[in-house]
Amino acid sequence: MSTVESPPAAIVARPARFPSSPRAILGGGLVALAIVVAIFAPVLTPYGPNDTDFLAVLQGPSLAHPFGTDELGRDILTRVFYGARVSLLVGLVSVLASLAIGGLIGAIAGYLAGWTDTVVMRLMDVIFAFPSVLLALAIAAVLGPSLGNAILAIAVVNLPVFARIARAQTMVVRSLDFVEAKRALGFGGWNILTRTILPNIAVPILVQGSLLFAAAIITESYLSFLGLGAQPPTATWGNMLRDAIGFLELAPWMAWFSGLAIFLTVLGFNVIGDALRDFYDPRTA
Amino acid sequence: MHDIRTERQIVAQQILGRLISLIPILFGVSIVVFLLVRLVPGDPVVSLLGMEATPEAIAALRLRYALDDPWIVQYFTWLGNLFAGDFGRSIQSGREVSSLLTSALLPTLWLSLAATIISLAIAIPMGVVAATRRDTAADAMASLLSLFGLSMPSFWIGVLLILLFAIHLPILPASGYVPPSDDFGLFLWHLVLPAITLGTALAAAIMRMTRSTMLEVLQTDYVRTARAKGLPRRKVIWTHAFRNAQIPIITLIGIQFGQVLGGVVITETIFSWPGIGKLTVDAIFARDYPVVQGAVLVTAGLFVFINLVTDIIYTVVDPRLRLS
Repeated sequence: MSTVESPPAAIVARPARFPSSPRAILGGGLVALAIVVAIFAPVLTPYGPNDTDFLAVLQGPSLAHPFGTDELGRDILTRVFYGARVSLLVGLVSVLASLAIGGLIGAIAGYLAGWTDTVVMRLMDVIFAFPSVLLALAIAAVLGPSLGNAILAIAVVNLPVFARIARAQTMVVRSLDFVEAKRALGFGGWNILTRTILPNIAVPILVQGSLLFAAAIITESYLSFLGLGAQPPTATWGNMLRDAIGFLELAPWMAWFSGLAIFLTVLGFNVIGDALRDFYDPRTA
Repeated sequence: MHDIRTERQIVAQQILGRLISLIPILFGVSIVVFLLVRLVPGDPVVSLLGMEATPEAIAALRLRYALDDPWIVQYFTWLGNLFAGDFGRSIQSGREVSSLLTSALLPTLWLSLAATIISLAIAIPMGVVAATRRDTAADAMASLLSLFGLSMPSFWIGVLLILLFAIHLPILPASGYVPPSDDFGLFLWHLVLPAITLGTALAAAIMRMTRSTMLEVLQTDYVRTARAKGLPRRKVIWTHAFRNAQIPIITLIGIQFGQVLGGVVITETIFSWPGIGKLTVDAIFARDYPVVQGAVLVTAGLFVFINLVTDIIYTVVDPRLRLS
């Protein structure tokens, strides 16, 4: 049986200017910074994230503690570094899970069409009918507060986003000549779906993935802010901000830095997502 | 006259079609909310009544929700109760969930409305200016601000606003709610910070959409013609271009309003604003599942309703959709 080559995807056809655009550098730099502090946290700071020092409680920023200390004398800079681990882990696992499952569901619905499409997409519409933060909150609350349940909750609320994009793209691609040709040559549905359609719909899904990574980090911070994410003493940016609320007058720095960490990381992913989208869809630039 | 009536009939038909398409969605939403409490590990009766429930109360609840029957029967019994306005009773306060929801709904609507008005007032002029002065400093500044607005978690904005306006320059209250019927001035005073907190991300999203849609519209032939005719710039921008840029913006406001409804959960918690969001969070921590169920159901219902209204508005605003 001869093989039918897919035409090069848009990603191959465009000149490789993307990595050098100033926005891509800014976004990539911010994300790289978050990744570096997450990985090298133990090397970058002399303190542990849960080391208490009752002689240094609620101290303002100083040379010994550049971001100050919290109500238990823990070093806030250290906790911000370790908090990056939770945020990035939740973002990565939840987005990959919903991208893989949602993308596949959407591609199958779009490829098979008919009643499969109707049933699957109505199910996705039902998930979409809830404001995402509220649904994530309800799922995390019902399953019990933990890091794993927060990841699951965020993955579920993002499913329909990937499913819708994958479905729409699949419907465009499936009637193109090279797909028709493979079908005429007798290739099976699964082969066509995984070898031909998925590679050709990957770009818009990955672009959306970058933007949803940012949203997942924010949602995780909301969940842990409300006490429904990773549990103390694990440092997360959300639960650090929750602790800070009780000390706004005494120790405002407790609120500055964890929020700033969320802001910069989310900004990084948003800028990358925007740059990717403009690169592949210049109409919106 | 005849044509107008036909057009109205078409609009009515389209609205009816959208209403019918909502039925399966609302069913699905009710199933999810029904299953939520069943997913709680352990006995749903303990979830619904709390640990200290008397055997009589447990027996009464089992009967009321048909808990010994198959799930499908339980679901329809629960749904029947909902249609009769019976959302159950709060475990914590013993009050009817429906009355808790009713009293929380108004503060949430005020807050969401204020956030939407603030964000529209800021975002639309900024988006239009950014598009009409593309690639100038004003455009760059507007784009940067919108990117910042989208990337700042709302609770951080809320905390920074409290730090600045309630602690350093104590000119606005840090939390609390005064009903508008008691004292309208105080009501507005308490509304300012939560509304800005909730409205920031919305403003950022609307500004971006306004800019990109206006950029597209400004390149169309009819805008070029309007310019060539020598019409004043202001008239070209607002009458010819902006009117045609409205539809994607309205759609986005509808979609974003759902995010606003999700965002009230956080904003209301920070500012102790007694709306649906705070009710939900308080109920979650009290393990008050009938209230959680009711609040999630009402919020999702409201979200679905707003999306419907958005659909209807743009059918009415855009004659092309009406006649298609």
